[in-house]
Amino acid sequence: MIERSIDDRLREEYFKILPNVKRVASQLEAEIKFKLINLSKRLKSYERYEVSSRIKDCESAVEKLRQDQEGGTFDKEKPDEYSLTQLHDLAGVRVLVFPRALVDEVNNILIEHFEDWTSNPMGILDSDANSAYKYYGHASGDNTIYGEVQITPMLTGLFLGVEHFALYKAKPKYKGVAKHPDMNEEKQNVLKALATFEDTFEKLILENEK
Amino acid sequence: MNASLEKKKILETENYSYHFDRAIYINRESKKIFSFEYIEDNSSAVLKQDILEENENDDWKFYFNSPVSESVKNEIKGILAR
Repeated sequence: MIERSIDDRLREEYFKILPNVKRVASQLEAEIKFKLINLSKRLKSYERYEVSSRIKDCESAVEKLRQDQEGGTFDKEKPDEYSLTQLHDLAGVRVLVFPRALVDEVNNILIEHFEDWTSNPMGILDSDANSAYKYYGHASGDNTIYGEVQITPMLTGLFLGVEHFALYKAKPKYKGVAKHPDMNEEKQNVLKALATFEDTFEKLILENEK
Repeated sequence: MNASLEKKKILETENYSYHFDRAIYINRESKKIFSFEYIEDNSSAVLKQDILEENENDDWKFYFNSPVSESVKNEIKGILAR
């Protein structure tokens, strides 16, 4: 009998855990929206935030786990070492915030909710370790599926969304492009420009309001 | 120049090319393979030393952080042979 590949075992696992992944994503999105209700009432006219959830699709999850291995290769001699539940972002919630000065306020509101979770400041810009926040952990009522929450400046988050689509969704083999030093340098340049745009915008808005 | 770019320059000067899908640097002449993680976790000096190191076998030499199993070696060698 032909033995199933690690990829096929993981695909089977994906559809077994899918209902739980969906539930975790919905639960986290609802909890975060609820926590931010009071903030929404006192936002200035130019300030905004958006909360959205997503679940990783099957092929992306299998590919992500493979890419996480050194050399991007599953070890066929150790098939039991791999599980999609090892991924920290099977269920994800993203909070996009504008302008970036509001990111810390949103983070401070949500931080209590994730005090048991692992914090991983994103350091989107090499020079700015806390430009965005990321947490992963288990939602209440489920200790098998990790959920991930990202709190990101809106312009940066939208740019990263396009980058993610181009480098991670379009073709699996493009994923390695993201790790290439040339790509990282150009990405840093874009992120710096977006941060400068927001800083200047906010400075002018504040001057205008005086 | 940041450390990653410096190491990338070192590798490219020594005719290593980047394999995008596996995130490895390879040189078909010296038959050496460096993983992205190994490059990130070691200094430029270590990298230069590894590049200069003699590859006594006719087989591919793997520079990885973790021990590389035969199955992983065979899969990567198979991909490089295509």
